[in-house]
Formats: sequence, structure tokens, C-alpha cells
Amino acid sequence: MTPKKSGIWSFFASVQLALVLLSLIAFFALVGTLVPQREEAVAFAERIPPALFSFLQKMQIFDLYHSAWFILLSGLLAVNLIICSLDRFPPAWRRFRMRHEPKNEDIFRDVAEEDTLLADTDVRTAADAALSLLRRKYHAVERADEASSAWLCAQKGRFSLFGVYIVHVSILALIAGAVVGSVFGVEGFVHIPEGETVESFSLRSGGQPLPLPFAVRCDRFTVEFYEGGMPRTFQSDLTFLKNGRAVRSAKLLVNHPVEFEGFRFYQASYGAAPGGKATLALMREGGRRDVMNVAEGYVFDLPGREGTFQVLRVEENLMKMGPAVKVAVTSRRGQEAVFWVFQQIESIKKMSPDIFEQVPLFNPGLFRPYTFSLLGLEEKYYTGLQVNRDPGTPVVAVSALGLIGGLMLILFSYARAVWIRISPSGDQVLLSIAGRSYKNQPGLQKEMRYLLAELKNRLEKRR
Amino acid sequence: MIHTKILSGVTFLYFAAFVFYLFRMVLGREFWGKWATVTALGGLAAQSIALVVRWKTSYDLGFGHAPLSNFYESLIFFAWTIVLLYLLMERRLKNRSIGVFVLPVAFLIMAYASIAPGMNQRIEPLIPALQSNWLTSHVLTCFMGYAAFTVAFALGILYFFKTAAGPRPGVFVRLMPSEFHIDELIYSCAVLGFIFLTLGIVTGSVWAHYAWGSYWSWDPKETWSLITWLIYAVMLHTRLVRGWRGRRMAVMAMVGFGCMLFTYLGVNLLPSLHSYMS
Ligand code: HEM
Repeated sequence: MTPKKSGIWSFFASVQLALVLLSLIAFFALVGTLVPQREEAVAFAERIPPALFSFLQKMQIFDLYHSAWFILLSGLLAVNLIICSLDRFPPAWRRFRMRHEPKNEDIFRDVAEEDTLLADTDVRTAADAALSLLRRKYHAVERADEASSAWLCAQKGRFSLFGVYIVHVSILALIAGAVVGSVFGVEGFVHIPEGETVESFSLRSGGQPLPLPFAVRCDRFTVEFYEGGMPRTFQSDLTFLKNGRAVRSAKLLVNHPVEFEGFRFYQASYGAAPGGKATLALMREGGRRDVMNVAEGYVFDLPGREGTFQVLRVEENLMKMGPAVKVAVTSRRGQEAVFWVFQQIESIKKMSPDIFEQVPLFNPGLFRPYTFSLLGLEEKYYTGLQVNRDPGTPVVAVSALGLIGGLMLILFSYARAVWIRISPSGDQVLLSIAGRSYKNQPGLQKEMRYLLAELKNRLEKRR
Repeated sequence: MIHTKILSGVTFLYFAAFVFYLFRMVLGREFWGKWATVTALGGLAAQSIALVVRWKTSYDLGFGHAPLSNFYESLIFFAWTIVLLYLLMERRLKNRSIGVFVLPVAFLIMAYASIAPGMNQRIEPLIPALQSNWLTSHVLTCFMGYAAFTVAFALGILYFFKTAAGPRPGVFVRLMPSEFHIDELIYSCAVLGFIFLTLGIVTGSVWAHYAWGSYWSWDPKETWSLITWLIYAVMLHTRLVRGWRGRRMAVMAMVGFGCMLFTYLGVNLLPSLHSYMS
């Protein structure tokens, strides 16, 4: 033990601590799925005594995954990982750097019967055959010839020694990336009606809306349906503006977020925006018919220049009588007529034939010599966008790749060295094989069997 | 529809394979073992065909997607991966003792998928959030992991059978691999499952990142997959660093399997983004 290894050091270098921490994290995560968290805790509060609730709240039980407990455990795990890795890295590095000598008497001390092979050949031929076999399977092969015997040594898979460290460092980076995300990241949402522009968004955590360093306009929102009525696609056509100039247009779809200047936009929801569009037809007695698209607030000149009309309201279903538009017509002399234009005016008249006399407000021909009719409504949508900025995401992504890469390295390769000794035995040659692996002894055994069988094959073929 | 008919046939075949493995266990004759393997293999082939047909049908309906999109399809795929993994292992191991524990699991899953009340077996179009290759990879890798954990669990049971047998064990126990081998196999399956679960969690996070705007949101299913992952991480460490073997590994394999099962099914009792049931 070096003096460096104080009590604290060995505490944090121990794997027992790691086991305790991993189990505790698992336990806290479990509790968090049983106890209502965040918003859901409000309903829970009514079912337990207030004193208990406020105690649990103080213990941060209702926001466990962001609580001091969780931060403490992750912090301890991080320290544990760092110290443990530092503690164990030097021997691993030595193991990595180690070059084995081909001549190794120790390793052949108790060779099992099945790890040897007698062949009718001479030492030199056998050694050549062994060399060419090892060269095909290993990177570093060394050979030492002595007067009567030959020794070979081959190594492979040294890099897998680093697999564990890659895995553990990736987990550290993962924790770091998550911390960066929660400290510097923002998460919010914004609703943009079609045709409108926003320059800020609301934060999920509440508080003042956060201004964006640019503006976003929703040009159009479309939703498509399958035949059965399930939604197939949601799409927002967005335009990003800087200083009033459009700099980028983008189609935003679910599963295909759009990034602009560090902010990511996700298609999250949609809805009907108040004030849709309507198609109106205008008949002048004995004259022409005009069709126009209008929306709330629009002002038009009447075709014969008798005055102007303005669209006051667009209603999808007025008094259960279907779509209707409220218009105000002002003559040049300043007389005003206000009335509703119903789309299903024919069926309304059939139900109550003298409706215009009773309710002049429903008469689309109130302003002579014009008659208005409503051809149809077009719904106007708003698009609901999730807006995020998370500088930790790239770190997390790289760590996840490292984690998988490290695990693959551990699974698919292992560090090992094999030796072959060739010595004369009567008028035959005795080949013995031995190996060493830091782990995966069964795999090494299998590999040695294979090498020996292959060698036997080659030597027999040669004769 | 043809694929549902094939799948009921497959359920029956897995049951038959289980019965044959049982005969082998009780009578101790490898003759039954061979029949069991052939039957299971036939079931697997038929199930593969059914999966492909179902996949193709979804394209004919005009909204093609891999048959991994709802609870029913996930159950069918789960059973498929379990049988596939088991047969691969049987081939490598040249030992049929584990089949009697694995096949009933596959059979029960298939049976549950076809008779459970309220199970939606129809092929349905995907809502926009589910139209993602990441989601397909996520389901694929998760269920590979689940299958490996299931086989590890079956091996754990086998281990207890082996150790519970007295000094003069019956034929069945004598046909089993040695305790050392079972232990090695439990470990290999756990490592395989751990890697696939890691891939599953990562691909799931990527999907969540694209679809919901956040790679991790502590939704109960995510949290439980993390718990399962941590349990298996503990299992690997206790083995590698503390040198746990045998009975303790078998117990860990069972605990991990319990967590995995809760991640898959139990979580639906809790409110969640993921719930297939909704
Ligand atoms: C979630 C967290 C962790 C994961 C996923 C993880 C993963 C792994 C894996 C997969 C191995 C197997 C390596 C192999 O087969 O060679 C391993 C080994 C190991 N881990 Fe971890 N680990 C974690 C946390 C920790 C922590 C906190 C420590 C701190 C002491 C630690 C210490 C070790 C040690 C000492 C080994 C053995 C290395 C060897 O065989 O030489 N691990 N870890």
C-alpha cells in the first residue's frame, strides 16, 4: 500500500461502495414510481394528514428525481467511479504494456495432457507451422529458437483492457451531461396561430416568458388523417426571422424536430385557433356575384361602391344552427346594418319560414340591394410547439456511444497470450500449448484446443 | 386473417414442444428431446412466417410498419426472441435440459396474447409519434434483452433443481449441464441481456429526444428500465469483483427477471407515456 491510500481514498476506491450506491439509486428510483411526483402530488396531498405531507415535502419526496438525495447519490457515484478508476488504472496500464517473452518455463509447469500433441516431424518444421498459424490469428507473434527446442508467444485483445474504463468514464460523462442539461438547459412551449409570429416562449417551470433571439412565424398547420380517422401526420410550416427578414423556412413534423440557433422546436400539439376564415358570396340584385375569402376584422368595399362591410365574427356553430359569420355594412351616408350570415340558411328558413321578420339580425339581405351567403368555413389552427435548449445533449449522446462501444469491447474481445513450446521427444516432436488471460478462462481453453487441433491438421497434411 | 391462424398453431406447437421436453425430463430419453427440438424449431419457423405476413399485410393496408407497434405485437415478438435465443443456446450447448423451463414461458406468452380479454390483435396505423425507426430499433433491442434475461431466469431455476437434488439424482438431473456450466451460462445471458438493454435504453432515449423533446423524463417505464439496468449492473459487479457464483447468481437472475417483468407489464398499472394498454 502506498501512503497515498488513506482511509478516504480506499473508501471511495471500493467496489462495495459502488454496489451500495447503485442499489440505493435503484431503490430511490423505485420509490419515485410509487409516490406521486410533482403535479400529481397535489391530489395526493388531500388524502394524507397535512403535517405528514409537509414533512414529506421537506424531505423532497415529491420531486425525488431532482432532490438533494438524488444529486448526493449521483455525486457520490461519480466520486466513487473516479477514485476507483484512478486506483485501478496503473495495473491495467502495466498489463497493457506488458510484452511476454516467448520462452516461459513457468507457464508450462503443469501442462494438461490434452494441451499437448505428439507429431512425426522435426522441431523446425513444427515451429514454422505454428508460427504461420499464430500469425494468421494474432497481431504480435514472437519466436525464440534454441538448440533443440523452439518457443512461440502470441498476444491479442490488449485494447479490451480499456473497455471497463471506457464504460465507467462514459457513465461519468453521462452524469456530467445530465447535470449540464439541468443547469443550463431550458424547456418550454409556445402556441402560434397560423399566420402569426412569436418572439418568446413560456417556460415549463413557470415565470416570465423567455424572449427568443429571433422570431418564428407559423405559415400553415396541416393535419392529415388515415381512413379510419386516426391522425397520420401533423405538420407546421415555420419561418424563422431575424430583424424582420425571413432567414429560414422549415417543415416541422412529429419525430423530426427543427433546430435554429441552439433552440430545438418539436411538434407537440395543435388546436383550433379562434377566428377562422370564411368564404362569402355577395349577390347584387339582378347583377353580379362576388366570392371572397374573409377572416375576422377584414374590411372590404362593396362591389358597387355603396359602402364598406366588415367581418365582425366567425362562428363554427352559432346557436346550434351551424356556421355563421357576423358582418356590419356601413353605407356611405353612415347608416349601419349588422346581421348574421348562416351557411344553412335554406334549412333554417324551412324550419321557421318567417324567421327574417321575427329576427332581422338573421337576414342576410338586410342591406339592400345585396344578399350575402356563406359558402363555407375554413378552420384556422394554432400549432403547439415544445421549445428546448439543452447544451448537455451532445455530451450525453457521445457518452451513450462510449458506453455501448466499451461494452462491445468487453463482450467481443478479451486480452490473452498463448505460448507454444516445441521440443523433441524420442524421434517425434512434442508440442505443448499454454495460455494466460486476465478473464475468460473458458474462452481461452476453447481457443487453445482449437489451435492445437488446427496445428495437428496442418502438420499431418504437410507429410 | 391468415397470420392469426398461424400464430394459434404456433401456440399449440410450443405447448407440444414443452410436453416433449417434459417427457424427456421424466423418462430421461433423448428421443423425446429430439422431438421437442424439432417441434420448437417448427413453431419458430411458422412464427417467423406469420410475422413476415403480418408485416406485409400492414403494407397492403397502406400504412406499412414493422409488427412491433402495440402490446399484442410486442408479446408475439417477445415469444419469438425467447425461442430463438433458446434454440441457439441449445445448439451451442448440445444440452436440452433448459427447454422444459423456457418453452412454457413462450407458450404462456403466446396463449396470453391470443386469449386475454381486450387484447387488440388488429393491424393499426401508427400515430405520428410512433412513426420512427428509432422506435422500431428500441423495441427490437429491448426484447432481445428481455429474452436473454428470461433465459437467464430459466437457467436460475435449473440451477436450483440441480442443487436441490440429493446425492443420488434422477435421470433428468444427470442429463443437466454441470453447476459450473449453468453458472457460466447465467452470466453469459446476463451480459448479453445487459448489452441489449443498454442499447434499448439508448435507442429509446434517442426516440424520446426526437419525438418528445427530451431524452429522459422519468416516466415510470423509463425509471423501471433504469432500475432493471442497475440490478444487472450490480449482478455483473458482484460476480467480477466480489466473486459471487452459483446460488447467488441464480438469485440475482431471478430478481432481475422480476424487475424486467415489472418494467414490461407491471408498469402499465402506473400511469405512463408508454402504456401499450391505452
Ligand atoms: C451504472 C454504473 C456502472 C456500470 C454500468 C458499470 C459497468 C461495468 C461493467 C459492464 C463491468 C464489466 C467489465 C468486464 O466484464 O470486464 C464493470 C466492471 C467493474 N466496475 Fe463497473 N460499472 C458501473 C459502476 C461502477 C462503479 C461506481 C464502480 C466503482 C468502484 C465500478 C467498478 C468496477 C470494477 C472495479 C470493475 C471490474 C473491472 C475489472 O474486471 O477489472 N463500476 N463495470
